[in-house]
Amino acid sequence: MVKNLVYFFPHLRSMQNSREGESPAAELALENKPITEYMVGPAPLEGTNFDEDWACYRDDDVIRQQDAIQAVEAEKIPLVGDKEHILALAEEFQSGSPVIQSKIKLLSEKYSNLRRTRGDGNCFFRGFMFSYLEHILDSQDGSEVDRIQSSIVQCKKALQDLGYAEFTFEDFFMLFIEQLQCVFNGHGDSYGHDELLKRSQDPSVSNYVVMFLRFVTTGEIRRRSDFYEPFILGISDSSVDQFCKTAVEPMGAESDQVQIIALSDALGVPIRVVYLDGSTTSLEVNHHDFIPTLQDEKTQSNEGSESKINQSPEPFVTLLYRPGHYDILYAK
Amino acid sequence: MQSSRARLFKEYKEVQREKSADPDIQLTCDESNIFKWSAFINGPSETPYEGGVFQLAFAIPEQYPLLPPQVRFLTKIFHPNVHFKTGEICLDILKNAWSPAWTLQSVCRAIIALMAHPEPDSPLNCDSGNLLRSGDHRGYKSMAKMYTKLAAMPKKA
Repeated sequence: MVKNLVYFFPHLRSMQNSREGESPAAELALENKPITEYMVGPAPLEGTNFDEDWACYRDDDVIRQQDAIQAVEAEKIPLVGDKEHILALAEEFQSGSPVIQSKIKLLSEKYSNLRRTRGDGNCFFRGFMFSYLEHILDSQDGSEVDRIQSSIVQCKKALQDLGYAEFTFEDFFMLFIEQLQCVFNGHGDSYGHDELLKRSQDPSVSNYVVMFLRFVTTGEIRRRSDFYEPFILGISDSSVDQFCKTAVEPMGAESDQVQIIALSDALGVPIRVVYLDGSTTSLEVNHHDFIPTLQDEKTQSNEGSESKINQSPEPFVTLLYRPGHYDILYAK
Repeated sequence: MQSSRARLFKEYKEVQREKSADPDIQLTCDESNIFKWSAFINGPSETPYEGGVFQLAFAIPEQYPLLPPQVRFLTKIFHPNVHFKTGEICLDILKNAWSPAWTLQSVCRAIIALMAHPEPDSPLNCDSGNLLRSGDHRGYKSMAKMYTKLAAMPKKA
C-alpha cells in the first residue's frame, strides 16, 4: 500500500531517502514487502545479536509507523474527494509527456468532471460505491433499487452456500442497504450530495461499504470459479481460493479486470472504465464497458429490470483508470 | 467501536454454540473485557508440538473486524515463525492478508496449521529457521520437542 503512495506522491520518495541510516524499522515501513522478507539473506555479522536487535522493532511497530504515514497522507487526499474540473488532471501532468496532455484534452471533450479517490488499494471499490449511490440519489430510480436489492439477496445466498458464516458478512451487507435506502428518497429522508460525500469520507461507513463490495466480489468469483480460474491463472499463477484470500477479501488489495467483471456480474451493474496512459500506439482515449452477463436465477426473479440493461447498455458508473489507480468520471 | 463489539458478541455466541466442534481449540473471552480473548490450542499430531497445550493471547483493536486481532503465544514455543521472546506470530492473515471473513476461531485454526507447516523462509526465530533451511530437520524437531516438553506440558509432580 505504501509503495502505491510513493507512486502517487513522488515527494514521499525523498522522505524515504532522508530516512536512510535511521532505524531499520523506519526503512522497512516504507517498503511494501512483508518485513520478514528482509530477514532472509546473509547471516548477521558475527558479534551482532540479530535476535536482540530485531526484538526492538516488532511487526506491530512497523505497522504503527505505516499507519502514521498513511494518516499524514489521509489528510492530503480524503477517501473520496470533491468534484473537480476534468482539466485539473492536466495540471498534474504539466511536466509529463505531451501524449498524456493531448489525451486529457480528448477526455475533456466527453467528460466534464472528475472526483478523486484515495490511492489506498480500495479505490476501485470506493469509486464504484460513490458513483453508484450518487446515481441513485440523482435518478431516484426505484426499479434499479429493487433490482439491486434482489441481486444482493442472491449474493448473500451465494456466500452462505460457499460456507461463509453469516455473522462475518451480514453487518457489511446491512450497512450498504442502509446507504442505498438513504440515497433513495422514497423513504422520505432529506439526504443530499453533501451527506453522501460526508459518509463516503467517514471510514466507519465508507470502509464497511468497500468490504461489502469485496464480499460480493469474492462470492461471485468462488461461485463461478470454473469461469474465473483461467483468468486468475493467467495473471497471478495462484488458485481461485488463494486469489480470493489475498487479492479480493483483504482491505487494501488492489483490483483488476477480474474483480471488476465479478462485481459487475454479481450486482448486475454495468461499469465503464476509461483508460488514460502514456502509450503512443493510438492517440485515443479508450474505454471498456463491463456489461453484466445475464444470470438465470436473476432473469427469472426480475425479468423487467434485466431486460432494461439490455436496452440501454450505457453504464452510469464511469471510472477513470490510470495505471494503478481509479477515480470517478462524469460524462458531459 | 459499537460494530466491533457487536461482531465480537456474535463470535462469542458462535463459540458457545460450537464448543465441541473443534476439540483442539478452547477459545474464551475475558469476562470483563470483550476486546481481550485467550485460547488454548493443542499441538498438532505428528509434529514436535504434539501433546503440548499452547496458550494464545488476543488483543482486539477497536476497528475489528476491519483490522486483524493481535495474537501472540503466551506459551514458549520453538518455531520459525514465532518470536522466541515475545511470542509474536508471523502469519500473513494477521497482517496484510487479514479479512473480516476470518474469525478468532478460524485464526486459531490457521495458527495450528502454521505449527504443522512452518515457513522457514520468513522466520521470526532465526535459529529455528536456519535449522530447517539448512536441512537439519532432526535438530529442529528435537529443539521444538524439548521446548514443548519444558513449556507446554503439565509438570510432573
